[in-house]
Amino acid sequence: MNKQNSIAGYALITVGVALISAALIAGCAQPRPDTQAERDFSHMSPEAYAEYLIFRSGSFNLDQATQEGTTAADRMVQDPLQRMCSEARNRPQPELAVRIVGAARDSIVYPEGGIKLGDWRQGAELARSGTGFRIGHNVDDHSRPVGGNCYACHQLDPDELGFGNLGPSLAAYGALRGDSEAVRKFVYDMIYNPHSYFPCTQMPRFGVSEFLTQESISHIMAYLLDPESPVNSRHAR
Amino acid sequence: MLKNILAGVALAGSLAGGAMASDSPYLTGREQLLMLADDNPAELTMWRGEELFHQVRGPKNASLERCDFGLGPGVLKGAYVRMPRWFEDAGKVMDLESRIIHCMKTLQGFTDQDDPIARKHSSDTREADLVAIYTYVASQSNGMKWNPPMNHPMERLTRNAGEVLFHRRAGSMDFACATCHTTPRKRIRLSFLPVESNVEEWSKAISWPAYRIGHGVVRTSQHRVRGCYYQMRQAGIQFGSDASIAIISYWTHQARGGVATLPDLKR
Ligand code: HEC
Ligand code: HEC
Repeated sequence: MNKQNSIAGYALITVGVALISAALIAGCAQPRPDTQAERDFSHMSPEAYAEYLIFRSGSFNLDQATQEGTTAADRMVQDPLQRMCSEARNRPQPELAVRIVGAARDSIVYPEGGIKLGDWRQGAELARSGTGFRIGHNVDDHSRPVGGNCYACHQLDPDELGFGNLGPSLAAYGALRGDSEAVRKFVYDMIYNPHSYFPCTQMPRFGVSEFLTQESISHIMAYLLDPESPVNSRHAR
Repeated sequence: MLKNILAGVALAGSLAGGAMASDSPYLTGREQLLMLADDNPAELTMWRGEELFHQVRGPKNASLERCDFGLGPGVLKGAYVRMPRWFEDAGKVMDLESRIIHCMKTLQGFTDQDDPIARKHSSDTREADLVAIYTYVASQSNGMKWNPPMNHPMERLTRNAGEVLFHRRAGSMDFACATCHTTPRKRIRLSFLPVESNVEEWSKAISWPAYRIGHGVVRTSQHRVRGCYYQMRQAGIQFGSDASIAIISYWTHQARGGVATLPDLKR
């Protein structure tokens, strides 16, 4: 399998981008001019000026430490997918879409010993919680488990009324689709990197970004697919 | 008490559908909010802001009455809906909040360390002077149409860069502002999302200052921008920074021609 190779390649690209931007930031650490009048920006494209605003104008608190051991500056650096989707305004042309889907598939790392369902009760908590990775003026408590905030965009348990609809309803997900290997793989892929099916989707890449751990993913998958989970049991009732 | 209204309205809004004048669920929910709350507590803030605006204060013993918000010293009517704009005396594009600070410094002699400038946002226990003055000046544009100038090259570059920032995905969740504000009739949890290309919705969405029922205080544009970057898990944006003004410039441009509600009442 060449999966390992392409993951490594992808990681290399990301590291490369991070290095370039780190160099940019370091190279431009001189005190910035006070007024826009003192500098001539007229030669700059909107894109170049936007990058200047982010990395060199002092507009963001770039030095803040993050829980992933980097600084906030790294959060602002776009990886290839973020850049391509932003530029395409999330409507990639067919050729680009195929490339994005291919790269997304290659990015997915499966758990050793196959995809297993965890504990749907813990999954219920994680699907509700929006805690994790927030920095800025009110840093999240990193000792608390990171939630997937699925309810922000999806309906899941039909008795929970506070759900968003940016994504489709996932109520009775397992009851309607079963719990076959194929269904498990699809759900895992969607959580890990949804661009493997929907290039430039609004849904975050919870696995690629290491936002959710393998264990958390297994609990959330149980919440979606376990027949005992309220996502499914209320359907049968 | 106002807080209890929230959940009810959100649910009613999603059920009421086209019963109201508009078929935008964002606007329908908003109308119901305005109907249920007979007073907007932001009016108290506005009155306090009016007093502070005319009060002689600071090391230079001056009021803010000579402050130029772009239409000439002391002209407040319609000034806010024509911001952000280029200010020759400061040599930069400024939004209303930065401009008030500029005048507190130049006219009144306050410094960044003095409380009237240092305190940017209100808390349960203490309302920021800046928020009050902002609410007063903004209220002088109530009912007018958003119409920010685009004559100076920096006004245009600032807006255009704001558009890039609006669509720029980054951070742990791959979010951009566009992720949540481009598809019509969508919700995050119970909150209906205003769409940036819909002038009717967007002109209400950017109507800050607003009394935020969930927060129990009046909030500003700068506060909203900070909150959005925070939720996106991107770097903390600095108050009054050029990037924050670029976002505000773009969002005001997108509301052009739509009517401003100042001060507003929001969830
Ligand atoms: C920011 C919004 C957002 C969040 C948060 C989100 N999703 Fe999604 N999700 C979507 C969208 C949008 C789609 C539809 C794909 C598309 O058209 O882009 C989707 C699709 C899906 C699908 C495929 C549904 C189908 O069968 O077609 C699954 C499964 C899913 N999401 C699970 C989850 C889980 C589990 C979480 C929480 C860990 C989650 N999502 C969080 C937006 C989101
Ligand atoms: C993950 C989704 C999401 C993202 C990303 C997002 N927003 Fe929002 N935004 C919301 C929600 C939800 C509300 C409504 C808050 C409420 O009702 O309490 C909102 C409210 C707003 C409002 C005020 C409208 C109102 O009624 O409160 C503005 C203006 C706005 N956002 C602009 C932005 C900008 C600019 C960005 C990018 C810097 C951004 N948003 C990113 C979800 C998002």
